[in-house]
Amino acid sequence: MAVQSEPDYSLFTAQEIEFVAEDELIEIVPNMRMDPLNLICGDFGPFLPQIAAQVPLWLAVALKKRGKCTIRPPEWMSVEKLTRVLEAERDSEREFQLLPFHYVEISRLLFDHARDDIPDIYMVRSLIEDIRDVRFHKVQSSLETFDGRTSAVQIKSLSAMEVNIVRPFVARALQSFQKLDSLLPETDSTPNNQPQEADKASKGRRVLRGR
Amino acid sequence: MASYYDIDDIIAEEEPVSVIFQKPANGVGIDPSAEKNCVDQGSKVELPFWLANELCQRNAVSVLVPACFDEKTRLEIQADPACVDLRSRSPYFYEFGCKMVPIVGDRTLGFLLFSAFRSRYKEVLTKAHTASHVAAPKILSRLTKEEVNLYEAAQSSVAAFKKWRVGGRRFQPASVLGRKRRSEE
Repeated sequence: MAVQSEPDYSLFTAQEIEFVAEDELIEIVPNMRMDPLNLICGDFGPFLPQIAAQVPLWLAVALKKRGKCTIRPPEWMSVEKLTRVLEAERDSEREFQLLPFHYVEISRLLFDHARDDIPDIYMVRSLIEDIRDVRFHKVQSSLETFDGRTSAVQIKSLSAMEVNIVRPFVARALQSFQKLDSLLPETDSTPNNQPQEADKASKGRRVLRGR
Repeated sequence: MASYYDIDDIIAEEEPVSVIFQKPANGVGIDPSAEKNCVDQGSKVELPFWLANELCQRNAVSVLVPACFDEKTRLEIQADPACVDLRSRSPYFYEFGCKMVPIVGDRTLGFLLFSAFRSRYKEVLTKAHTASHVAAPKILSRLTKEEVNLYEAAQSSVAAFKKWRVGGRRFQPASVLGRKRRSEE
């Protein structure tokens, strides 16, 4: 976006994705009293000691740095939930488990700034790394099934950072495939696509085309 | 697709192509080895692609399949597409092939390009995202320009992500401030 290193495909840097992720709401427990904050994105507060409040992540990190609150980790970040997610990811070949869109960025920010607020932090960290690895390999294996007829790719439940990593590659690969496919003589390939589409729509799942 | 100012496009069109002249051409010294200044009908000459394209549209020449798409390459591609060194044939293998398809009278060229790309694409995909810098040169020397583009796009985004993950200072002082200022007095 801001960095136009490749003029063809606008690329979000990782820092920009993190910036967008900081808008997510998270729960904190303040240890001081403060008046309500009237911000452009919304009103937060009033903050009373030991009463939990929902604030955006950037505000939570800023307060935490000044020692004014403790951050409560989100509920998906417990060891049991993550273990279950990891098992499910390993079991299913194509589907991705439902994780928050910005789970990578949120977890990294919390590890950096709220180390003491997360129970079993090493376990949580290694679980998230494993989940990320498994998902990335799944993305790669599902990207292998391109062919000339693929005009768009839809993957369900993929997180922001994972999408950002594969975005330039997928865009260029699709373009190359389209270019080469236009060389082939016109076959009656379109009737093939119709029954596939109807199948996928009826299942309610959005899967990769061209499989 | 093909843009006028695209450097890759311009260089791809420089590839040599053998043509057979259908009409005699006077006053052109295209063939450097010939003494006379004109080209006879039926003689075979090597021209750059952009020239051959124009002449072909005027029906002055007929184009033969260039050497990089010959039988040997086809057999190699059918055997194992991922290991074929396409760069030694031509670094613009795919672009050049795409331009050749409308003018050369060979129907199978399109299929060849497409199947080669599809099989090599899988290799590029896996290697690009996971390989470290050490393993890079081996496969890079076999890829055409287009595939190298793909490869580098993936490499750079994975590297950027890893760098971000390690962490570090979010805000860095601008390099301008680092220089010592002369005192204004």
